[in-house]
Formats: sequence, structure tokens, C-alpha cells
Amino acid sequence: MSLIQISNVSRTYQLNSISVEALKNVNLTVAAGEFLALAGPSGSGKTTLLNIMGCIDKPTTGEVLFDNIPTASLSNDQLSDLRAEKISFVFQNFNLFPVLTAVENVEYALFLKKMTAAQRRKEAEAALDMMGLLHLAKHKPLEMSGGQQQRVAIARAIVREPLLILADEPTANLDHKTGEEIVDLMREINRQKKTTFIFSTHDQKVIDRADRVVRIWDGEIVSA
Amino acid sequence: MMTLKIALRNIFRHKARSVITLSTIVFGCVALIFIGGYFQDIFWKMREGFIESLSGHIQIYRRGFNEHGRIEAYRYLIDNYQEIKELVSDFPEVEYVSARLQFQGLMSTGSNTISFIGQGIEPQNERQATIEETQDLRQFMKSKNLGLPVTVFGTSLVGDDDYQVVLGRGLAETMRAQVDHRVTLLTSTVHGATNALDLNVKGAFRTTQKDFDDISLRLPLQTAQSLLDTQAVQVLVVKLHQTEDTDKVFKSLQVIIRDKKLNLELRRWEDMADFYNKTAELFNMFYLVMRIVIGIVVVLGIFNTMNMSVMERISEIGTIMALGIRRRGVMKLFLFEGLLLGCIGGAIGVLMGIIIVSLVAAIGIVMPPPPGTTFSWLSTPVIVPSIVISTFFLSVFVGGVSALVPAYKASRLEITEALRYR
Repeated sequence: MSLIQISNVSRTYQLNSISVEALKNVNLTVAAGEFLALAGPSGSGKTTLLNIMGCIDKPTTGEVLFDNIPTASLSNDQLSDLRAEKISFVFQNFNLFPVLTAVENVEYALFLKKMTAAQRRKEAEAALDMMGLLHLAKHKPLEMSGGQQQRVAIARAIVREPLLILADEPTANLDHKTGEEIVDLMREINRQKKTTFIFSTHDQKVIDRADRVVRIWDGEIVSA
Repeated sequence: MMTLKIALRNIFRHKARSVITLSTIVFGCVALIFIGGYFQDIFWKMREGFIESLSGHIQIYRRGFNEHGRIEAYRYLIDNYQEIKELVSDFPEVEYVSARLQFQGLMSTGSNTISFIGQGIEPQNERQATIEETQDLRQFMKSKNLGLPVTVFGTSLVGDDDYQVVLGRGLAETMRAQVDHRVTLLTSTVHGATNALDLNVKGAFRTTQKDFDDISLRLPLQTAQSLLDTQAVQVLVVKLHQTEDTDKVFKSLQVIIRDKKLNLELRRWEDMADFYNKTAELFNMFYLVMRIVIGIVVVLGIFNTMNMSVMERISEIGTIMALGIRRRGVMKLFLFEGLLLGCIGGAIGVLMGIIIVSLVAAIGIVMPPPPGTTFSWLSTPVIVPSIVISTFFLSVFVGGVSALVPAYKASRLEITEALRYR
């Protein structure tokens, strides 16, 4: 069963008076439960494609079906609700809230869910525990290493039990060993929870761990 | 709870900046509470001083006096004033009722002659303060002394001596009058005949009004009555225990006058206190302008902080929106921060305001004589609950208003651009 279906998608940015075509007529189908790598050099359109699949950007032309919902016609609020329910992100710079502790950062992802504070805390702690970080629950991001911060970010992503986790260059700011550990961790979650993972990278060792590699070059998919 | 926690932590993320912003709010609140309390103290002292020294709370005249009395003062005298005095004195709110008879004439010391305004008064009711009593300004500023005419030399009108007079300070200086000098008062009686009387100078007084002191003298009521050849008085001054009871007593007196068909009319102190009313109006206008100015300064302060906060947190805003928080939710978050800043600043400001006003009131500030008046006074600002409460809410409101534009700006960010921002 396909989770995402992208048909003839183009995305053009207007930079002053120049049009930049970041994606050109892209077609791609991602099945539920896939562990997929988007590979390509910087500026090839990986992030744009991730943004469109993650419903934080809309294509200029073409159609996107996410979980059989045509997202192009959804309003901003509807897209927000869709993301809150079904999509999580992991970022290159971790993007944790510096004022919140690790466990509070994870809890924040449950902010929109109807549950008691105690329930929220319990689930956040469980997610942190899964990442092996329960002992750092009360620490703030700046008191942690990059690898630990990225694990907190992954805990924040999985705690909502989304259908899809999108990771934009999740290992780019980590040393090699930590990067591999992070990818292994994502792989483990993918196996256990059947969560679909799509991550962009240009690190060959990370690419090698993916089930499927989609190569993108100059806004076009060259191999899927 | 989560929003509150995040807002609170974000406020104290940059401690120095938040302390400066909060200081602006606190300073604004303290200024408003202090100046409001200072003005209120001026109003109160002006009011009580005016009531004590000149008007009393309510004045009773013969009907028509206020319309025609200026030209034909002696046609509008109250004959049965003792009866009315007894009637009014029965009110528990009334401290005393004092009769007055005012007239004009010429005063002569033999070598010099000058025109004057005379007031026949009941000395037992119309107290004067001694110069010693004014030494302790704090004591003197208490309502029962405030506005009392002060004896500058000699004594006030005393005992049963009918042939005595006290002069306003300016008048005494002009006539070079001393204690026990004899002066002759020349005036016309109510029937138009000329009459004169020799009186002993007992002393001189000053009131808050220099103009009044330059031309006025006071003598016992019965002396004034015999000089004018009448048994009547012009006005009954009703002094209450509390100014707040004025309207209540005024209305009751109106009912009595109507029911008993008395040929009388009434005036309240505020109908006579033109200077007080205009001053209060002017100061209230000043205060409003100050509120607006301080409000704008605080708005700019918080706006600057919130704007910087939005600029610094652009990528965080992107993350929040990627997590599925709607634009309205982002706006709420920043609005909440502004409101919280206003709330914290307002609470500290109100507290500091109360402490500072209490301290200043305990010490008091000696103020120079206001224009047209004669002596220094002690300012003891008061804590006005309505000002304290409105200042707090103004601070919260201003906090919200200042955050409006930055919050809107934050909520309009494009997620992809916000996430890319470094």
C-alpha cells in the first residue's frame, strides 16, 4: 500500500526576478513501512522534495497524495492538523527547544494530543528510554552532545507514533560513528514499529543502510 | 500549562534583556502609581483645605441669595437662623453649623483708612491654628487642621469680648496694626444708615489665600450684627464629619426645605470650589497624557524585546509549525509571552509602587506654596486602589498590544524558510 504518491510535481521558487526550478516533473511512490534514502548533492532538490512529502511545502504544479489524501487542496490549518497526526521530522540541526529539558522537548510533540500531563510525561519518558536517554531527561539540549540531541529529536519524532518520519540530513552534523548509530536506531524503529522513514543524505555509508535509494540530480529523479 | 511554561522560560532566556524590559514596565507602573497618588493627595488637601477654611461642606442661604445677593446682599438675610441651626445640627453627620455675616466698609487707624471685607463669625466654631501648631507640618496637614486660618501674631478671637477684631495678614501689614491697637470700622447698616464701631486688634491671621488675607478681617458675629443693625445672618456654614456624606446630607436638607416650605436654598462645596474643580480637571488631563506617554514608552520597550525574540527564534517557529501547531497557535504563544511580560512587570511595578508611595508618604515631601497661596505644605502621596488596579491591568494590556505585531509576524512565517533560517 502506498503512503505517498507524487505525480508530475514541479516546484519553482521566485528569487527576486529569477525563477529557480527546484523540482522538475517528479514522480515517486513511497510504500508504507519503507526505509528510504534520498541521495544527491547539495542543491539537487532533496530538501524541497522532503518538504513537499512532509506537507510543509506545496508543489507549484502536480499532485501529492499522502495516505490517500490529496494535499494540494488542503488549507494551512488542515495541513497542520495532518502533520500533527501523521508526520514527524528530524532535522540536521536537531531543532530542539533550548529552554526545555529533554523530556519536555519530547512532551512538546504531544502538545496537541488530548491527554493528561501525567500521561504525556509517561509516554515521553518511554520514548527517551527507548533512545537510552532516560538518565538525561532533565537536561537541557545545550548540556548534551550532538548525538544525544539527535536521539532526543528522534524520541520527539516517534513519541506521536506517526506514519512517516522525515529526516533531512540527520547525520550531517554528527561524527561518522554517531551518524551510523543514529541511522541504525532509525532502522530499528522502522523494523519494530513499521514507521516509514525517508531521509536525505549524501553520506555513502548511510545510503548503504537504506532499503531503497532514490537519487536526485538537478531537480530530477535519476534513479528510484 | 505547557504554553505558560514555555512563555515563562523564553522570557527569562535572555535575563539581562528581560530585566531591562521588565524595568521599563516597573518604572512606568511606579511612576503612574506615585504620580496618581501624589495628585490624589493634592486633590484631597485642596478639597479639605477649601472646605475647612472657606466653604464648609454645605452652605444655607435665604432663597434668591445666589442670584441677587451680590447686588442686594442685605435683602437676603436669614432671620430665624438659630431655629435652622438647631434643625441641621440634629443630623448625626453634622459636626457643627456656623453662622456668618459678611459686609464691606472702611477701616481707619486714625492716620490711615482702607477698605475691607468683614466677616462676622462664631469664634467657638471657626477655629484658628497657632503658629506653633504649624511647625509640625505632618500634624498640621491632618484634615482637622488643614486649611485652618493660622494666627501670625497675637491671638484669635477669644471669650465674650464683643469689641475685638482679627485682621488678615496683608491688611495688618498695610495698616501697621499691632495687638491692642484700636481701629474704627465704618459701614452702612442694613437699613442704609452709616454706623461706626471702635474695636481692639487681637491679632492677625493668614489663610491659604493671599488675596483674601490682604483685604479681610474677622469679628464676632454679634458685633457685626450690631454694626449692621440686624439680628440676621447671611449664611449658615454646615461642616460635616466626613466629606463623603455631603450628597446624603444635601439631599436630606433639600427634602426638609421642601416639606417645611422653608424660604432657603443650598450650595454644596463643589459648587463653590471652582478653583478645585478646574485644578482637578487639569491634573486629571495631565495624568491621562502621562498614562498615554508611559504606555507608549512601555509598548516600544516590549515591542523591541518581542521583535528580537521572534527574530532569534525563527527556526524554532519553523519547528513548532512543522510539529503541526497552527499559525494561530504560534501567534498565541508570542501574545502569551507579551501578556506574561506585562503581568510580571505589572505585578512587580504595582508592588514597588505601593512600597515607594508608602515610604514617601511616611517621610513626606515639603512643597513650596502653590501659586496665590501663602505657605508650604507637606505632600504625602496616597495609595489609590483604583489607580493600583488600573495600572496593573494597563500593564497587562500594554504587554498584549506590544506583542501583537511580532506575534503576527511570527505566525506568518513560511515553514520552509523558517526552518532554513540560521
